[in-house]
Amino acid sequence: MQTIAAADSGSIGARGKSGRWKLIRGNLDMYLLLLPGLIFLLLFKYTPMYGILIAFQDFNIFTGISGSEWVGMSQFEKLLHSDDFFRVLINTLLISLYKIVLLFPVPIAVALLLNEVRRMFFKRTIQTVIYLPHFLSWVIISGLFVTILSPTGGLVNEVIVALGGHPISFLTDNRFFRSVVVFTAGWKEVGWNAIVFIAAVAGIDQEQYEAASIDGAGRIRQMFSITLPGIMPTIVLMFILRIGSLLEAGTEQILTMYNPLVYDNGDVIGTYVYRMGLGQQDYSFSTAVGLFNSAVGFVLIVIGNALSRKFLQRSIW
Amino acid sequence: MKMSTKGLQLTAVAALLAVTAACGSNGGNDAAGTASQGAAASPAASGSADSAGEKPTLRRLTVWQDQDPNTYPVAQMLEEKTGYKVKYDTLPQDKAADKLNLLMASGEAYDTVHYAADMALYSDYAQKGALTDLTPLIEQYGPNIKKAISQQSMDALKIDGKLYALPSMLTYKVGSSILIRTDWLDKVDMDMPTTTEELKAVLKAFKEQDPGGHGDQDVPLTMNGDNAFLDSIVGAFGMPNTWNDVDGELVPRLLDPSYKDYVGYMADLYKEGLIDNQFVVNKGATTKEKFSSGQAGAIVIHWADIPSIDEALKKNEPNATFAYVGALKGPGGEAGFSGNAGFDRLTFIPKASKHPEDAIKWIDATLEAETFKELAVGEEGVHYTVENGAFMPILPIFNDERNLANNYMSGTDEANYPLYWQARVHKNPVMFEAFDQLNNQQPDEVKISNPLGLAPYMPNYAKYNQQLETMVADYTIKLIAGADSLSGLDAFQAKYKAAGEEASAKEINDWYATAAK
Amino acid sequence: MRSRTLGDRTLDAFTYLVLIAMGLITLLPFANVVSKSVSEEWAIVSGKVGLYPIGFQLDTLRYVVTNSQFLHSLWISALVTVIGTLASLVVTAMTAYPLSKRELPGMGVIIVLFIFTMMFNGGIIPNYLLVRELNLIDHLGALVLPALVSVFNMLVIKSYFESLPASLEESAKLEGARNFTILFRIVLPLSGPVLATIGLFYAVYYWNDYFNPMIYINSTSLKPLQLYLQDIVMNADTSSLNRSAEELMNVPAEGVRAATVIASTIPILLVYPFLQKYFIKGVLIGSVKG
Repeated sequence: MQTIAAADSGSIGARGKSGRWKLIRGNLDMYLLLLPGLIFLLLFKYTPMYGILIAFQDFNIFTGISGSEWVGMSQFEKLLHSDDFFRVLINTLLISLYKIVLLFPVPIAVALLLNEVRRMFFKRTIQTVIYLPHFLSWVIISGLFVTILSPTGGLVNEVIVALGGHPISFLTDNRFFRSVVVFTAGWKEVGWNAIVFIAAVAGIDQEQYEAASIDGAGRIRQMFSITLPGIMPTIVLMFILRIGSLLEAGTEQILTMYNPLVYDNGDVIGTYVYRMGLGQQDYSFSTAVGLFNSAVGFVLIVIGNALSRKFLQRSIW
Repeated sequence: MKMSTKGLQLTAVAALLAVTAACGSNGGNDAAGTASQGAAASPAASGSADSAGEKPTLRRLTVWQDQDPNTYPVAQMLEEKTGYKVKYDTLPQDKAADKLNLLMASGEAYDTVHYAADMALYSDYAQKGALTDLTPLIEQYGPNIKKAISQQSMDALKIDGKLYALPSMLTYKVGSSILIRTDWLDKVDMDMPTTTEELKAVLKAFKEQDPGGHGDQDVPLTMNGDNAFLDSIVGAFGMPNTWNDVDGELVPRLLDPSYKDYVGYMADLYKEGLIDNQFVVNKGATTKEKFSSGQAGAIVIHWADIPSIDEALKKNEPNATFAYVGALKGPGGEAGFSGNAGFDRLTFIPKASKHPEDAIKWIDATLEAETFKELAVGEEGVHYTVENGAFMPILPIFNDERNLANNYMSGTDEANYPLYWQARVHKNPVMFEAFDQLNNQQPDEVKISNPLGLAPYMPNYAKYNQQLETMVADYTIKLIAGADSLSGLDAFQAKYKAAGEEASAKEINDWYATAAK
Repeated sequence: MRSRTLGDRTLDAFTYLVLIAMGLITLLPFANVVSKSVSEEWAIVSGKVGLYPIGFQLDTLRYVVTNSQFLHSLWISALVTVIGTLASLVVTAMTAYPLSKRELPGMGVIIVLFIFTMMFNGGIIPNYLLVRELNLIDHLGALVLPALVSVFNMLVIKSYFESLPASLEESAKLEGARNFTILFRIVLPLSGPVLATIGLFYAVYYWNDYFNPMIYINSTSLKPLQLYLQDIVMNADTSSLNRSAEELMNVPAEGVRAATVIASTIPILLVYPFLQKYFIKGVLIGSVKG
């Protein structure tokens, strides 16, 4: 954790009630600054939070929340006992983990490489180009991949055939489907996800590089001993937040890419619930599914934060 | 994460009930209840309108269109003819039902709402007390409505004896079939197939003799993965609709005795390379690409979709010709298309309307015979001409000023609308020919009406329908593509029954028994 | 210039090679959509348009950008984006600054309260009822206020503030400056890169937001561009065999869809290159600090 010097005459180590009170009184304007954000938080985030209760009800349209029957955890049991739940949970975790392991480092690497580019025009052009796919919807991107990956006349398979291989039906073969999902997700979002790291790199104190140069450090060494540590707080923050969405493996993406032949490996919680219309006429059930995802995500964030505090001495709170 | 549509609907209806309950507790007649609600909300704006004779601005909620509904020429024409100013809002294209539910639930004061004829949604709204009973209003203010809309149509929409909506009629029965390249047929020297066996022989000839001339790139029949049951073929196996009458009971396709035969036939086509081997990943656009680039010998397509592929195909292959395959006869001698049944759109007056009487007066004015004609097809000599009794559009002005006219209707002049409507089909001669072939040249007995077209809201069916249809579609696709075998059919049928089919079938057949009489 | 070591030169070669390759493959989808927007319809329908246009024409683009609803929606989107981004940036930075001072009592709890809402929310219905209570239905405020602070963005800014050298603020404190003054006079001027980043995130969010307008806006005259775009793209994506003839006859041509995508995406794409100079200005921190 970055240590921050005491903001006021009250010392940072001040213990006990009087010390805390002094700290508050000396920084009343800090709390004032917080006010708009807090009002927003309470009004727009916590006021509607009562909607979560629906997940524990058999929500009755005639009586609303106040008059609906409470059913405890039975909506969750319905989810956990669905025939295919185990399969889709495994798929969700696998695809999500592949995405984290393989894709999380890529934007960081891109930011590091871009930092080595000295030609501003080139740098800006690349930055702009690689973030373009973020702005196209999955429908468009998937449509394009169906064409590129087609076993009859698709670009990729023409290359494979030219190299003496046999055409591969990437999108209908359970062995390849997850790889395609991970790769295309990377393609679409790497440039966008790199932005926050590029900005972090820009915030690094330039004096450090000059000092290192004088000490005779090459650029590769500078990259690993100055740039990477310099953006570490951002990396840690992004990583903790990223694992919070572990159960969201890319519903919108997979919906546009999958088909019945690859359900065994490609069907995830979001697509399963959507396809089966499980939440239909059943607001309680869809709320329960959302709540399940949220609870898992929140626990992961809390754990991630604690581990990071312990081992990396950095934390979000 | 994505919000479930039906879940949202349900909750919305709940909120809606709270609103209507709060506002309409006096239990008096609808107009009075709504008027008092309006008066409470804004005393100046309502109530007095009827007596003072001043026409209020009406608010209409209609389906999505890609042009501003307030500036579209029909809006202005209607304002002149009816004397009412109307402010039009549109639902989104995506998640339209969600939005409609929110608006209905929150008591947004629309005077007329125009939406797809979703009978389940309609009967649900009506039963929850969200809609105004139109019967007394029509009695008092609706002479043109009574003339335009048949008693039969009104009866079909009655719920517990009350009428809550006015229907826009369906104007045609059959939408899609297999479109086949007739020049390929000539090249392989074969006739238009009339049975499933002949179709198979034709597709085989397409494969072996390669009349398209692109070798391996060519596909005898292209289809897409969203569509496991091909029109015309599935009818040949006696299952044109999702639920079909088997010995007096409605049975879903999976449990139909012919299911095995249909799947067997299709799987055979696939195995022999007669169906696009990429059909599982194909989207509608992909199949159209293959057909219009001249690489497919046949495609399943709606006739209204034909203009888009016709132009492209003619550019790529100037000598290409095509025609629809009629209702193929199957091994059991059956044949048929799924026939549209029920209505196209419904227009209703929400309970929250502040001007129900003016709304009905406005609707009545739009259904006056001449006004309705001008609404539907415009002015003679400007928008259309009449040739041999057929309404022919004048292009491009008909496109610009009347393409979206049906969004402005609140019910239709049932005696004349089918005739007016054909002006739209005449916009493109190729489209008209295809439409004519399916709807006029095919005998009536092969247009088998969807028995569920007029079915009311049935809670279990509504709840399980999507899951059941998805299960069957996915399973069928796997069977056709050879990724699963029919040996597991019994087990899958059992799973299917348990997933809600039994509950739905009971509801459906209870209703069917009373409706069939 | 300092002499280049072998390592440095290898690094350079590697960097350029990788980045150029990435740039090329990420350009593909966009090139495809751009090509479609200026190709002739028959070529698009028959799947002939790949990375370059076939039968070049600009009529489709012209048709799209002269559509009065497109222009009006463009204006609404621009308005919401500019106002929303500025308001969000100010409030988010104001929130992030106190939260970056974790030694102040209560801040840790408040951070957790914020993070909790990243995962948990009440769902559409309670949100709709709230917005309705606030009289914001069919009001552009409904597009800004419920999205005013993104917790993700707030955490990024907070993390940046935490990494600023503490000595800067200390010296100002000693001169008697209030926190308020320090934030606006010292901290924010040093936060170019992060403010540019978060400004971009907010701008893209407001520009691309489709869901809030769909739920909260009824009047055609207040619909932003994404709603219009989504409707056009959705219109053509729905499986065609289940649709009515009227709908099919009015489905926009594929070229029109592509042109609409391009015309409604380019304005927001232009924001990033413009902001990039602030990414570089951030390099000056060291010299400001002196």
